This record gives sequence, C-alpha cells and structure tokens, in this order.
Amino acid sequence: MSWTLPKPVPRSAPVILLILTLGAAVAFAAVSHLVARYNANQQARGRKLYVQGLAAAAAAHYDDAIAAFRAALTCDPANSQYQLSLARALRDSNDPRRLDEAESYLIALWQRAPQDAAVNLALARVAAHRGSIEDAIHYYHNAIYGVWNSDPDLNRGKARVELIEFLLKEGAQDKAESELVALATLLPPDPALHLEAAQLFAQAQDYAGALAQFQEALRRDPANFSALAGAGQTAYRSGNYATAQRYLQAAVNANPQDASSRQLLATTELVLRSNPFLSHISDAERNRRITAAFEQAEKRLTECAQQIGLDLKATNPPSVSQLSVLQSRWTAAKPDLAHLRSAAETDLPDVLMDVVFQIERQTVATCGPPQGLDLALLLISQKREAASQ
Amino acid sequence: MNPPAAAGNSLATSPVVGRFRSPRHLFSTLEGVFHEEVFFLILSVFIGIFSGLAVVCFRLAIDWTHLALLGPLPQTHGWRLFAVPSLAGLVVAALVLHLFPGIRGSGVNQTKAALYIYNGVIPFRTAVGKFICAALAIGSGQSLGPEDPSLQIGASIASALGRWLQISREKLRLIAPVGAAAGLAAAFNAPISAVLFVIEEVIGRWSAGILGSVVLSAVSSVVIVRWFLGSEPLFRIPVTTFKRPTELIAYAVLGIVGGLASVAFAKSIGYLRPRLKALPRWTQYSQPALAGLLVGLIAFLGAPQIMGAGYDSMDQAMHGQYAWKFLAILAVLKILATTVSFVSGTPGGMFAPTLFIGAMLGGAVGDIERIFFPHLTGSTGTYVLVGMGVLFAGFLRVPMTSVFMVLEVSGNYEIIVPVIVANTFSYLVSRSMQSVPIFDLLTRQDGLILPSLEEEREEAILRVEDAMLPVPATILSAQDYIDANARRILDSADSTFLVRLHPSGWNIISHDQLQTLFQEGKGELTLGSVLPPQSLPSLYPDLPLDSAIRFVNDFPLVPVVNRADSRQLEGVVSRDSVLQKYSVRSTRS
Repeated sequence: MSWTLPKPVPRSAPVILLILTLGAAVAFAAVSHLVARYNANQQARGRKLYVQGLAAAAAAHYDDAIAAFRAALTCDPANSQYQLSLARALRDSNDPRRLDEAESYLIALWQRAPQDAAVNLALARVAAHRGSIEDAIHYYHNAIYGVWNSDPDLNRGKARVELIEFLLKEGAQDKAESELVALATLLPPDPALHLEAAQLFAQAQDYAGALAQFQEALRRDPANFSALAGAGQTAYRSGNYATAQRYLQAAVNANPQDASSRQLLATTELVLRSNPFLSHISDAERNRRITAAFEQAEKRLTECAQQIGLDLKATNPPSVSQLSVLQSRWTAAKPDLAHLRSAAETDLPDVLMDVVFQIERQTVATCGPPQGLDLALLLISQKREAASQ
Repeated sequence: MNPPAAAGNSLATSPVVGRFRSPRHLFSTLEGVFHEEVFFLILSVFIGIFSGLAVVCFRLAIDWTHLALLGPLPQTHGWRLFAVPSLAGLVVAALVLHLFPGIRGSGVNQTKAALYIYNGVIPFRTAVGKFICAALAIGSGQSLGPEDPSLQIGASIASALGRWLQISREKLRLIAPVGAAAGLAAAFNAPISAVLFVIEEVIGRWSAGILGSVVLSAVSSVVIVRWFLGSEPLFRIPVTTFKRPTELIAYAVLGIVGGLASVAFAKSIGYLRPRLKALPRWTQYSQPALAGLLVGLIAFLGAPQIMGAGYDSMDQAMHGQYAWKFLAILAVLKILATTVSFVSGTPGGMFAPTLFIGAMLGGAVGDIERIFFPHLTGSTGTYVLVGMGVLFAGFLRVPMTSVFMVLEVSGNYEIIVPVIVANTFSYLVSRSMQSVPIFDLLTRQDGLILPSLEEEREEAILRVEDAMLPVPATILSAQDYIDANARRILDSADSTFLVRLHPSGWNIISHDQLQTLFQEGKGELTLGSVLPPQSLPSLYPDLPLDSAIRFVNDFPLVPVVNRADSRQLEGVVSRDSVLQKYSVRSTRS
C-alpha cells in the first residue's frame, strides 16, 4: 500500500467544529429516521410473534411459546411485556433448568420497576417453584403491596391466597396463619373470596377461622350451597356437632345430591343422638345411651377380634393382646351398668364410657376406621379428650 | 420598562458580548482557544459520534440481512441453511477480490498497520467495503462477529476525518486507534474493555498522550449506540456466586482447558490461513462459499447456534439451557466453523466467536466439575461468564481486557477473583504453547512486523543502574582551592574527575585542565570560580538506560544520584559502560 499524506493546511477550528456539528446533526437525523423505520417493522413482527407465543402458552405448548417469545424479543429486546411472558413460559414449562433464565429476565424487569406487582408475583412464583420460602414471601408481599394495573383489591387478595397456599404446601403453618389473619381483615365483600379464605383456614386447621369465613360468605349469599356444606364440614371437624347439623341439613336441603354432606349429616345426627354427656338430656336418656354404647363397644370388640383371628372367649388365648385386656375390662365393668340408676354413683357414667372409648380407639388402631355408631362413639371420645385438654 | 433599543445598547456595551461584534470576530477569538491538543480532544468526541452512528447502521444491516436471508429464528429451516451462507460467500468473495481488497479478515491488524506503517491512513473505501461485506457475511450466518469490523469502520471514519481536516502527521497517526476504540466500544457496548483492547492490541504500548482521546471517543460512541439501540446488555446475567476459595481450583482447571482450546484455535488458524492464501486466485472466489457451506452443514445437522455471532445462544448457555455434552460439542464446532470462515478471507471478527467458544467451554467444564464435585457452588452461568474471559485471555492474549470485559458485561464484581485466576492460567498455558499471539501471527503472515504490548511487557528493560560504574575514588570539591585539588589527583590514574558543587549539583574537570590551571598560577582560586556556571546533568538509577544516551556523548562521566538526596552519588555512567551494556544484551538476544 502506498498513500501520500496531504500537506498540512491550517483551517479555522471554529468553522470546522461548526461543520462537524452540522454534519453530526444531519447524520443523527438520518440514522434516527432509519432506526425508527426499522424499529417499527421489528415491533410489528414482534407483536405477531408475541400473539403466537400467547396462543401457544394458553395451550400449554410451552416450548413453542418460548421460541415465539424469544423471537419476539429479538425484534423488540426492551419490551417488558415480552420479557415477562417469556419468563412466565420458562417458569411454567416445568423444566428446572429454565428457572434461572426466567429469574434473570424477571430480575432485570424488577430492577427497572421494583413496584410492578405483576413482575413481583412472577418472581414470587419462581421462588415458590424453587421452594425458597423467604424469597417467595418477600416477592409475594411486594406483589400484594405493589402497583396493579387493574382490579388492585381483587389481585392483592388473590396474591395473598396464593402465598398462603404455598406456605401450607411447604408446611410453614405459622407463617400461613399470620397471612390468613391479614387476609381475613382485608378481604373485599366477595363471597367467592370468603369461600376461598375459609378453605385455606380449614387447610391450616383453623376451624374457627374457617367457619367465620363460611358464615361471612353466607351472610352475603345465604343460599350459597358450597358455603353451607363447607360450614357444616368445618363445624363437624371442630366437634361443633349442633352447628354442623344445622348447616349440613341446610346443605342437603339445598342440594339433595350431595352425598358427602348427607353422610356427614347422618354421622352428626348419630353423634348427637348417642352422646350421653349432653346437658339437655334426662338421666334416663343418658343411661340408655351409655348402655347402648357399652353394648356396641362389646360388639365392635368381638368383630375386630374375629377380623384378626383372635378368640376372646377361649380359656387360654395364645397371647395377651390389647383386645383381650379390653375384653377383660369390659367384662369387669359390665355389672356396673346395673348401678347407673343410683344417684350416688356420679362418676359411673364416666367410668363406663371410658371403657367404651378405649375399645373404640384400640379397634381403630387394630382393625381400621369404624362406621355408624362406632364412628359416632369415636368422635364423642375425641371431643371429650379435646375438652379435657 | 426599557424600550428594545435600550436593551440592545446595553448588550452591545457589555464587556463580554461587546468583544464579539461580528461572527468573524467571534471565530477569530475562539480560534486562539483551540490549540491542537484541545482540538484533537474535541475531534475525538465527533469521531465517537460518527463511529457510533456507523455502528448502529452496521448492526441494523446485519439484523436486516439475517431476517431477509435466513428469516426469523423459528422459521429458519432446510435449504436456506445451506444456500444462504454459500451464495453470500460467493458475493462477498467477488466484492473483496474486485472492489474492496483491503477488507479481508478482522480489521484489527489493518488498523494497527495504519498506525505504525501508513501514518494513520485507512481509505474510507475500507469502511464502506467492511460495512457491506461483513454485514452480508455475518447476516448470512458465517461464523464471525461484528466487533472487529466495527473497530475497523470506526478507525476508517476517524482516518477520513483526520485527512479531511488536514491535521498534523503526528495526530493523523494517532487518530486510527481513537476511531477503533469508538467502533469497538459501540459494537460491544463496553467502553472500558474497548479502551483497554485498543491499548493492548492496536496501539501495542501504554501511551498516556492518546488515552484521553481514546476514552472520549469510546464513551461518546457508546452514548450514541445506547441512544438508538437501548441500554439492554448483551446478556441477561444470571445470579453468579463465588463462596469458597477452594473453588478457585475448579476455575484454574477451566483456565487450563481454555488455554489449550485457545492454542488449538490459534494454531488451526495460523496453519490454514497462509496455505489457503497461497492457493491460486480463482480458488479465492470459492473459499468463502465453501466455508459458508460447511457452516450451513453444521447448522443443518443440529447446531444452528454456531451461525453468526451467537449471542442468543451464549445467553441461553448462561442460563443452563444446554447439557454439558452439547456445550462441549458447540465449542468444538464453533472452533471449526470460525476457523474456516476466517481463513477463507471472509470479512468478520473473532471477538464474538471467541466469547462463544469460551462460554460453551466454560459451561461444559463447570457442569463436568459439578458432576464429580457436587459441593461446588458456582452456577453454570458463572462458569460460562468466566469461560468467556478465559478464551479472551488465551486466544486474543489480552489479559487485562479479558478481565474487564467479563466485569463490564456481567456488572458483577463478585466473580473477579475466579476470572483473574482462570484468565491467568489460560494466558500462561497459551503463552507457553504458542509464543506469538494470534493478531501478531496474522500480521507476520502478511509480512508486517508491528509492536506488541506482550513483547514489550516481557522485554527486560535496561536501566541506568545496569550500566552504572562504582563511585570514583576521587571526588573534587568546588569550594576547595585549585592547588589542593591538584595535589589530590597527583597519584590518580583517572583522566576525568567529578566536582561536587555548592550547595548542590555536579560538574566535571579533566586531569589536564586542572594541571593547566595550577600551572597558570591560579592555585589560590577555588575550583568553583573557574568552572563554567552550568552544572552537569545527573541521572537516577531507575531511569531507562536510553535516557543516559543523550548525555554520555557530551560528557565523559555522568553522575547517577539518589532521588532523595541529589548530593549523594550512587555511581557514574560513561559512554563505554552504556555501550558495553547494550552490546551484551544484543549478543544474548
């Protein structure tokens, strides 16, 4: 190569700078025009691909959705909506290798708009996928208190519900209960949300809270069958059988096809009819119930022994089992039934029912769950035990 | 309220505005402000702006070419993968051979040659040719990157501006690296790495004089690119971690593997390039087409990731989307594809392919290490990032740029220690197995010898202390009488003596001069009163020996003094001692 250098001829620096500035301005304008046209084309192409991606994601074809969102992003790399959708598709594809990428997209979006509730919710879901409780709580809270583009109250409630479900799934009972309390105080007047909250309270085994939410739902929609059935079931589980009977009866009346409520109602009524400790029944009725329970216990004991091949009436049983011991206790206590009428024997009902309860509990452990009157007696036993604690 | 006329009068008579009564007056006043250094700095900003605008257009051209020829990614299928790179290769070959002969390869060497051989002259035609041909080659899927061409486009624009403005020869020589930094910074969206690369690879030596201009042009070009294309980073960086210092061993292993891969990559290019260039001219029409065909074949057989620059694939590797076997295969295939694309003479860069190979290799090595040592905490993304730096350090042999590039791209300083460790190992392995860095090798294959920062860095610099003779036994004092001084030199065999001046400084007097003064009856005078007033130049022991050359011809002895106390003599240098040191060195080398 051979080039010759031009002779240095001084020029006026200000004039040169003026010319350079004008040249830069003209070039800038030309490139602006070019980039604007290019961007418009790319954005149109990106929108088309984005729509394809949304359709694929809706059909749970996540690989196609991811490919389409990626292509859309190559057309419009700064588009937050595309990034968010890609991150969601990556997360929902159930491929743990893709979570990192989803997270990095979301963190980039979060850094730009930390108050964006949708981004925080997506990040919370990624953390939930990873099972990271602290991160999930952090981002769910950001989402709950963040900025929503539409229906903020409804979306905040839903985010809180999702957080509680995640915490319950992870066994973080204490944290879930704290969130439930917050949820209950902030729920908008929507029966469906109260129903959902009630289910969560029930999952957290806070039956009082669950019943309160079902009742709140019924206050706004008295004919709501799900709320009636739920209230009945919750009351049943908490041992509040009188309330359970009321709601379950209403649920069965509202929907006679509801076999579950019908069965629970039958058990509830059996409990109420068999419980000798109810305050409003007469002594005679109490004694009758104790006698019936005592006889039922013996029957259950015999059937259970037969089920496992044990002969309780044999003079020399092959081994001393719990059932044999209970049989002995039952036989020893049987003569006391005759003394039930005596007013002086005030603790006799407890003694006799204690034998019944022991038999019912032991047979559950040996022979499986009971039915009918045995189930009712077991429930009464559990309620008595809970009350004594 | 004053009438307008009154306001006009007050402006005209104000001390500031009053000085500039006409535009001509304003310009002539401003002209005095713009001496050449200031003007060159301002010009650097304009170079950055124009280079940034050119790189924006270049990137759009690549994207548009890709979309037009290959279609958007999901729709890229079948015959296009073969046909497009091959046909585009034919067109590129014809353009290079007939219209733009100076645009083969990456452009880094040409820019360096412009600085050191062609007085900063890069024809503007080069920028046009590089723009068109590189956009066509990269957009059609050849396994090359846009960074090095951007560097050359920036340098070419700068050179054209410099020639149009008729700046001095000295500044024109420096203007190409200024444009190169602007072009590279715009392409990489990373101004620090661009500045460092230009210093390490293009200028080839540390030069404070040009640093300001290089930085200004790089920053202004990045501002332009971000204005138009946004500030989205090249990659979405995943969470990167470095927890236990013992994990550095894992990164050192990555460095060694990366160093070996760098050597394989560099040697394959170094071996094939001169052989393909030596083939008959007619074959040069088909070489880019055959390279395109091979790249298309690889893509068709299941690895379309190796086409083009491959930034999207690097992004996916960083997020653990590929299994280690596929990562390793991609690294090997990319070395093959880039080698054939580059040696075929297709214009395009090696930055992006280097990053790609490093990323895939880093991911593969990291995943394999985690299989054997599950307690390693570094994520795939961390190894991918470190791997990028490893190849940069090993293949391009720019250790400082490689570290800053990773930091700048990732924005994460947590991984600086793994990056430094891995890059050092890679550099050392590459250095020990391949003595000449790739860009120097390419330059030498083209018959040019250009300075190299690596050589300069490793060159033992001779210093004044290396040629220093011991302090002479006899030192005279300017405050003593001439007869006393004359008596002191009676038994001395030396011909020249140093004279300590008061209060500081040194002078020199010969044996004969002193005897003459004594014989002339000036024994009662002090020596200082008869010596010339100016003192002898002195040197410091740590100065480069080159600095002694200027004095040893004029003075038989030059004092070497302590920096803390210039009256304290550390030794002397003479012409013989300096020349002897240089001759010993030249014999050794």
